Amino acid sequence: MTKQQLLEIKGCSKWFPGVKALNSIDFDLLEGEIHCIIGENGAGKSTLIKILSGALKPDEGIICIGDKKFSSLTPSLAQEMGIRTIYQEISLAPDLTVAENIFMGQEPVNRFGFVDYFKLKKESKKILETLKIDLDVNALVRKLGVPQKQSVQIAKAMAEEAKIFILDEPTASYSSSEISNLLMLVDQVAQNGVGVIYISHHLEEIFDIYSRITVLRDGVKVASHEKGDLSEEKIINEMIGRDVNKFYSREMVDIDYSNAIELKNFSNGSTVNNISFNIHKGEIVGLAGMVGSGRTELVRLIFGADNKTDGTITLEGKETSIKNPKQAIRAGFSLLTEDRKKTGLILDHSVLWNISIVHLCNTKGQIIDEVKERKAAQGCVSTFNIKTPSIKQLARNLSGGNQQKLVLAKWLYADTKMIIFDEPTRGIDIGAKEEIYKSMIQLAKQGKYILIISSDMPELIAMCDRVIVMRQGRLVCEIDRENLNEENILSYSIGGTI
Amino acid sequence: MNHIDKKKEQTIKWNNRSDQTVLYLLGILLVSVIIMSILDEYFLSVRNLFNILNQQSTLGIATLGVVMVMIAGCMDLTIGNVLASTGAVAAILLNAGVDEIWVILATCAVGFIAGTINGVIVVKTRIDSFIATLGLSTVYQGVALIIPGGQNIYLQGKFGDFGTFRVGGIVPLPVIYFFVLATIVYLVMRFTKFGRKLYTIGGNPEAAYLAGINLDLNRIMAYAISGLLAGFTSLIVISRIGQSQPAMGVSYPLEAIAATVIGGVSLSGGKGTIPGMVLGVILFGLIRNSLNMLRVPSFYQYVTLGAVIIIAVALSKIGSNKKQ
Repeated sequence: MTKQQLLEIKGCSKWFPGVKALNSIDFDLLEGEIHCIIGENGAGKSTLIKILSGALKPDEGIICIGDKKFSSLTPSLAQEMGIRTIYQEISLAPDLTVAENIFMGQEPVNRFGFVDYFKLKKESKKILETLKIDLDVNALVRKLGVPQKQSVQIAKAMAEEAKIFILDEPTASYSSSEISNLLMLVDQVAQNGVGVIYISHHLEEIFDIYSRITVLRDGVKVASHEKGDLSEEKIINEMIGRDVNKFYSREMVDIDYSNAIELKNFSNGSTVNNISFNIHKGEIVGLAGMVGSGRTELVRLIFGADNKTDGTITLEGKETSIKNPKQAIRAGFSLLTEDRKKTGLILDHSVLWNISIVHLCNTKGQIIDEVKERKAAQGCVSTFNIKTPSIKQLARNLSGGNQQKLVLAKWLYADTKMIIFDEPTRGIDIGAKEEIYKSMIQLAKQGKYILIISSDMPELIAMCDRVIVMRQGRLVCEIDRENLNEENILSYSIGGTI
Repeated sequence: MNHIDKKKEQTIKWNNRSDQTVLYLLGILLVSVIIMSILDEYFLSVRNLFNILNQQSTLGIATLGVVMVMIAGCMDLTIGNVLASTGAVAAILLNAGVDEIWVILATCAVGFIAGTINGVIVVKTRIDSFIATLGLSTVYQGVALIIPGGQNIYLQGKFGDFGTFRVGGIVPLPVIYFFVLATIVYLVMRFTKFGRKLYTIGGNPEAAYLAGINLDLNRIMAYAISGLLAGFTSLIVISRIGQSQPAMGVSYPLEAIAATVIGGVSLSGGKGTIPGMVLGVILFGLIRNSLNMLRVPSFYQYVTLGAVIIIAVALSKIGSNKKQ
């Protein structure tokens, strides 16, 4: 019996300013199949999913669902065509029961037009039994844990007779028994004839359930494998493999090993577990790991932005207590957050105000010397080469690269000892990237302590003296500069064994 | 990339929105004054213009506090009933024969304390400040009735000068208070770190927190100042009307919001200037005065003023949507 094709994408491309996120991708899905997609951060997985769920319009290509052809989908059209994206928490009504949620929008009615609760419960029970989900149909969704909510969503999609399920990183922050339950459920779903698109950073999970694996890299489909004799090593090799010449070549700086920042036992009780490492004076340390591995959470703990359950900082031999960002800045820490628009800048304020705010709020005195402030901001604008018609320009009106340089200027003007960069070059052009790299080297020369979180592996390899890798909230290993390559970083990040 | 850059270029013209607001308000003021002076010869007299300012000075002083709270991204709807409560306290103290200077200080202190309580409740409960201060406002409404036992308190002594004296027979004292306080608040908002922190908190609370700003403390301080200014305002009001009335502040919160929004202060925080707000307050008074002079019946005046408020808010919303 040949399986029927549910979905086919032909020659699908998508451009974002400055990058080609998807390059002429072909992809298909058969009924009863679990088709896994794997790739580094930024390989194009999310873009592909967004196109399938109707959130993004492709610039090129055709999407065929059943016997219908589309050039692009909208969220409601995707729904109508039986595509369901399963999220961890949203899209359920918390104050309704499991059964009511499963049949939400298509409740069975009796002949008076009222909801037939008896039938509703009976049908829900039937679906849960088919999928082997052990849940009480009368339970309130609010009281369920995340994994149970997710299974209710899957049951709901089954009730709607959807044929294509998309699961994007469905096991983030799950325990191992929760993961194996979910994998069993996905398998059950596929046995009922549904096609599943499964995306994960975790190789073991994928090797557990796949019927097919497609590997993406830089928006291109590298390979597609049927179930069979496949090694983790092969997959990892396909995920990487860039031209080494494209890497930025940095100037090396002497590291002062007699001075260090020691970070010990950082934990928050959930996403970050017992992480310790140190950074030496003048050293640039990279923090690698897949999205969701706890990198951002870790640096927020260090910076005092979130509550930690444990963790001590020793700065050049002195133990430093940091409970909030204010104390962190005064102790000599800077954090350049990953989302410059949401957490880095005040978009409706001027370049001037954005540059001076950290310095201003963390120095003595109550009166602002506007002349001095303007001079300093003017200086920063020219040092960091921020392209703006004037320092009165609103931050909102700058381009992405200049906004990022503005964030850099604001923190470097505050002149702290340690600087943490979270995804410092995401979504900015090459010119601005190089300027940011140059600033980092300058900082290393000045004897700063530098920590860079990045999903851009060439960036980590080019810039860092050492890289530490996180996976599922734990520190997996430290890689020094000699052994730094994409294969190493990636295999530790996704838990492959080489 | 190129067309994006071009789009950015075009938006540059808009970069000094707050300065523009002030100019544009001055323009509207001027036009309304010219039209009114043609319609009614008495309008442009020094006496009438000072009357408008005098009438608006109490609202103006109370609004100076609200504007600080709004710039910090919060809302304060309590000022009216705080004002009624502190007014009752002041009237009781005055009738008990306490020295005027002590009454003034005590009333401001009571307002300050009420504002601090408001701030702490808003900040610590994390209830939306609009709802929290709406609830608190009702609490103060009760307090304003409890303190005087539901009665008006008539001032027995002579406190009349505080709110009615005219310097040189022309310039009313409250107008002077208003401009002096407005200047102080302007300087605070522009040249102190406290002011800058309020703008930053309102502009992006998360970024402000990560820049090392204590959100709670600064917001509480803004509320405390708002309470203090409401207390001060109550002194002018009771001096003017010679009594304290439990309902004397009812219209303040909405009028304050209307005036600030007309003056270009953002309802979502982070934007707005004191000169803009002052012009907003004056423009609001001018409209009311004009309606009086044109003998629009008072029932219709409410309809007109309400419409003005809604139009002003709608315009400010359209302005901010356009940018996104």
